[in-house]
Amino acid sequence: MSQGLPEAAVAALNKIGLNYSFVLAADERASFIHGMLVTLELSVVTAFFSLIAGVLLAAMLTSPRAALARPARIFVEITRNTPTLVQLFCAFLVLNMLLSQALRELGGNPLTPFIWSVIVIALHKGAFHAEALRAGIEAVPRATLEAAQSLGYSRRQRLWELQLPLALRFALPTLVNNMVDLVKMTTIASAIAVGDVTYASIMIWTQRDNVLELMILILLFFGALTFVINRAGRWLETRLRMPGYGH
Amino acid sequence: MSEHFTRNKLKQNSHRLWHSALGRVVVVLATAFGASAAHADSTLDRIHERHQLVVGVILSGPPFGSLNPATQKPVGFNVDLAENLAKRLGVDIQMIPVQPSNRVQFLQQGKVDALIANMEVTTERAEILAYPPTPFEQIGGALITRKDSGIKTWNDLRGKAVCVSQGSNYAKPLAEQYGAQVKAFRGQPESLLALRGNNCAAAVHVAPTLRLLVARNPDWQDYSIPESNDLIPSPSVIWVRKGETDTQNAFEKIVEDWHRSGWLIDIERKNGMQPSQAVLDLHAKFKAQSA
Repeated sequence: MSQGLPEAAVAALNKIGLNYSFVLAADERASFIHGMLVTLELSVVTAFFSLIAGVLLAAMLTSPRAALARPARIFVEITRNTPTLVQLFCAFLVLNMLLSQALRELGGNPLTPFIWSVIVIALHKGAFHAEALRAGIEAVPRATLEAAQSLGYSRRQRLWELQLPLALRFALPTLVNNMVDLVKMTTIASAIAVGDVTYASIMIWTQRDNVLELMILILLFFGALTFVINRAGRWLETRLRMPGYGH
Repeated sequence: MSEHFTRNKLKQNSHRLWHSALGRVVVVLATAFGASAAHADSTLDRIHERHQLVVGVILSGPPFGSLNPATQKPVGFNVDLAENLAKRLGVDIQMIPVQPSNRVQFLQQGKVDALIANMEVTTERAEILAYPPTPFEQIGGALITRKDSGIKTWNDLRGKAVCVSQGSNYAKPLAEQYGAQVKAFRGQPESLLALRGNNCAAAVHVAPTLRLLVARNPDWQDYSIPESNDLIPSPSVIWVRKGETDTQNAFEKIVEDWHRSGWLIDIERKNGMQPSQAVLDLHAKFKAQSA
């Protein structure tokens, strides 16, 4: 066990000028692995809430009631048209500060940087999901809707049992695209000290100045992650394919 | 059938792309190494040849470096040092703003000849870069906290959230020595905003910057620097590429002269800094040598 595989690999990489010696330091390796887990956790949680936000917003956007459609439209435009990093700083440094001050007597502010990142990224991507789903909802043929109406489907039933399932199939490629983007977007959470893989890398290269080496690792990690999403998306597409509808 | 065909073709294409990308990375790496080996120490010659010294400076805020809002020109301690370095070499100065995350790459890739970038000596850095042995300052970290926070010394930070900026070398001692929960934000402004937003009990940054902030900025009147001992006071030096002894020696002479003439002390006071005991000692030492 004197010269294990990791040691040999690090030595070999060192010969071509890449300094990966942090892998051999237990605490730094642990913090990098922890960072990867946090990125996964952040991606999964954010993806889940972004879909909920997307479906709700899409339902509101396509509603015939202006009281629902107008606020949803305003929200989508504002979130979609401003940079996410600015939104995150605004939410965390401004809203969170005001909230902390207001809640000081009530035992403090329960919202952590992680939760703020989930809120901001999920709502931001939710707006994009909503637009993709809206395109799908509006692509459902009128004749199909009228058929459903004649069978006695209420508006809510039509939305949940007809429009959304069909819209999902239309919107799936765009939704997968959004998901890939969402995973990459989680890196901005590092700006407010959420310990994701980018943050862990920054903390390591601060000590070792091995920026290039860690950048390569981050690229490979996100490459693998988005590849998995891409595959899952393709699988869903074939899985949900309806003969005679669209494809 | 046709779908299968295109997918295979796509796969082939992506394979080819991946290979050519890999090839390019190898070429880039090879040139980087070749280059660093080739100009073992032609830097000083090249500085004189093109009659210009290129220095990477950090403009993260006063007193070290910032942009003058009226003229959009860089001003501050780092800037004054870089300008004087060029002046004493008899060449023009070009300053390139760098960040803690990219400064080493700028130097290694030859985009700058030297770094005056708030970069203190550490063993890890000394392995990959070189510096003239005489430091121009000794700089440590100070902690800023609300006056009513109850934090008086470094030891009071145990278990508390402490804001720093990403790339700060105070993160490690704060976590390991004092058991603080370190939160690193993108930069110093974000970290200080997070402190004001109560996201951390204290913030730790380079001492001269915080002292200036507390002394001059009325927005910070509820905050103080209770601990007078700085965290890991370390020598600040001019960084050059490894093995460039000519450049290193030329800079060393200039730095010694900065100390001997007292110019350094004047320039620190001009920028609102308090010269450290180390600088006062070096001034006395070099003055005694020349006498």
